[in-house]
Amino acid sequence: MTESLTLEYEPGTVSGDDPLHGELMHLNVGPQHPATHGVLRLKITLDGETIREVEPVVGYLHRGKEKTCETLGWRRFFVHTDRLDYVQPLTNNCAYAMALEELAGLEIPERGQVIRVLLMELSRIASHLIYLGTTGIDLGAVTMFFFCFNEREKIYELLDAYTGHRMNNTYVRIGGVYADVEESVQDAVTGFLETFPAKVDEFEKMLTGNRIWYDRNRDVGVLTRDDALAWSLSGPNLRGSGVELDLRRAEPYCGYEAYDFDVPVGTIGDCYDRYLVRVEEMRQSARICRQAIDKLGKTRGGEFLAEDRRFVLPPKSEVRQSMEELIHQFKIVTDMALPAGEAYGSIESSKGELGFLVASDGTSHPLRCHIRAPSLMNVQAIPHLARGRLLSDLVAIIGSLDFVMGEVDR
Amino acid sequence: MNALERILSALGDPAPQGSTGRDGIPCLEIEAKDARRTIARLKSACGFDTNTFVTAIDRFPAEPRFELLWQFRSLVHGDRVRVRARLDAGPEGPRAPSIADLFPGAAYSERECFDMFGIVFEGHAGLKRLLMPEEYDHFPLRKDFPHQGIEPDRLYREWDRRRHEKPAGSAT
Amino acid sequence: MGSLKPAGPSPSEGGFFATRADWLVNWGRKNSLWPMPLGLSCCGIELMAMIGPKFDIARFGAEAARFSPRQCDVLIVAGTLTWKMAEACRTIYDQMPDPKWVIAMGVCSSSGGMYDSYAVVQGVDMLMPVDVYVPGCPPRPDAVIDALIKLQKKIARERPVELLLSGDNDDEGAGTRRFSYPPNHAVPTTRSHEVLPPDAGPRG
Repeated sequence: MTESLTLEYEPGTVSGDDPLHGELMHLNVGPQHPATHGVLRLKITLDGETIREVEPVVGYLHRGKEKTCETLGWRRFFVHTDRLDYVQPLTNNCAYAMALEELAGLEIPERGQVIRVLLMELSRIASHLIYLGTTGIDLGAVTMFFFCFNEREKIYELLDAYTGHRMNNTYVRIGGVYADVEESVQDAVTGFLETFPAKVDEFEKMLTGNRIWYDRNRDVGVLTRDDALAWSLSGPNLRGSGVELDLRRAEPYCGYEAYDFDVPVGTIGDCYDRYLVRVEEMRQSARICRQAIDKLGKTRGGEFLAEDRRFVLPPKSEVRQSMEELIHQFKIVTDMALPAGEAYGSIESSKGELGFLVASDGTSHPLRCHIRAPSLMNVQAIPHLARGRLLSDLVAIIGSLDFVMGEVDR
Repeated sequence: MNALERILSALGDPAPQGSTGRDGIPCLEIEAKDARRTIARLKSACGFDTNTFVTAIDRFPAEPRFELLWQFRSLVHGDRVRVRARLDAGPEGPRAPSIADLFPGAAYSERECFDMFGIVFEGHAGLKRLLMPEEYDHFPLRKDFPHQGIEPDRLYREWDRRRHEKPAGSAT
Repeated sequence: MGSLKPAGPSPSEGGFFATRADWLVNWGRKNSLWPMPLGLSCCGIELMAMIGPKFDIARFGAEAARFSPRQCDVLIVAGTLTWKMAEACRTIYDQMPDPKWVIAMGVCSSSGGMYDSYAVVQGVDMLMPVDVYVPGCPPRPDAVIDALIKLQKKIARERPVELLLSGDNDDEGAGTRRFSYPPNHAVPTTRSHEVLPPDAGPRG
């Protein structure tokens, strides 16, 4: 495909024996490379420093997750959903649980929804911190990496206190979350949210007005409105191009209609706009988290897990005393079946629209679980944005598209 | 009128079979040969400007075996539609029309369907495997493919053997 | 399993100079283990957290996480290795100059982890010898630092100068051969024919 490219020059513009033109170079940015976006391979055809063609090769992290769902069953697949977009594991859990709840026709109690919103927004902050840190270090702002990971460590501590694990928590179940949020964790989250907006201001002070950051990102990787929609982009990539689409507003889930937040939208659609959108989203996520903590205070003592014994495990104390609950426990663990049919549940993850299409034939053996990964569409857009630009712009474009290979390859 | 009625009236004749799924998304059932025409009309007349996914379900052992699913979303109207078509595993394997020229974002999804199910998309420029290595022989998401795979290390063994067969003098 | 052979000469064959020189060489090597981070998936994020400010692997001399294998000492395989990536991973291992060590971080690189599927290598030790395995999904950065300290203790037990002086270095890698048990190779690799008998089946 790339061998057929030829260089066309106007007669008289290039001297026939000019050594600088006339030869294309194939550069392999191999599956292992320091731009810490995972195992992505780019086959680049260069004319000097200008990119003529770039072909992404994915699949170096394909672990067969969709096949795994068919083999393991609906409940045991929850641990695998964490490892999809591994910078925000709880968000994937929530998306999968919501798809299953749509198919099962299950309603989540309010406190369960509030806890899910809190976890999803903390994960969104964590994901955007990874974006900022890794894109910063790719473009030379090494300090950003350490600053952002410092903040991410604080979020890890909160999640460690609540779920018991720093990442890949798997704390969401069909019908709600695994356990309630304690007062101490609530206070810790409040403490984090008090200091976090000042940190975001510090990040902005370092980057937003920075001449180098501006020059590396302004007018680089410009994505028009129509192109963004045609390439199936969503999330900050779409909003950076001026399309005001946020699934939390357009198709509210988990009680998002009751939260007060703004949706930042860009104008030009270049890397700088996408950067501004994500930084502002971090602030808005902190705002939503504060409202979620207030709601947690109001719903104290409420149920966080639905009661439907076809899908939700009964509490262990009841299992030990009641025969009926023991049978429910046994049936759910060994043989949980979802009603026949199919359902698509999608949420607004930090990368875009993360959706799960779950199809069941009524038995406990899943028929199909397709993971609609936003990062796959983000990778697809790389050639469109990078063609004709310099090689160093490619690094900025990859960083600003913000994809995670666990999700791309599944 | 609800989303399904709006879509069916905008599509005009001949209208495909439609229903609303459990998740509230309208579903259209069409023949594989009408897929391109229907999807082009969905784009031009019904306002569906972005493709969400292209995927397939293997309904082995029922015939026709593969069920191809497309899903689209409309920014203007704010609703979605899911289109499904059953594919016969013909003499050369299942074939379907490609929509990658109408929706460039569907290109990778179609390559993935080819990789995982073996469905060949006619008209797709550059249809090759996406997730498995290019020389891989099997289609993993088919129901008759075992979960642990068939000789998963075959390609690696070939590479290792080729490395050992290099002429003396080059680095091992 | 193949025959059990101790690595290197027995302690009685060394001399005072060799043991002191060994101590010096090992001290230098173990306190400047430059990692080659092969961050493949989720463990890569914890690897980044380990290089980050809170856990700070630079305290242990593993400061320079160079991304070129030619300049690195220890390959940290962090994440799931798939068969598509295996060729690249093996090439990276081969490109690292001796002495080199491998830490298999996380269960995916130790044994395939939770993925017993058609695309995942069931443990990076199918392709290369591993020195330290770190369980966890992902392991806490503290656990990987513990693995690094264990590796440092393992390096302290090596006897490179003694092997050099005793003349038992007729092929490359003998000076740092440190395996008492043959590696668990299911797939024959360039090195495995040296440690496994030729008629050994898969899994020794």
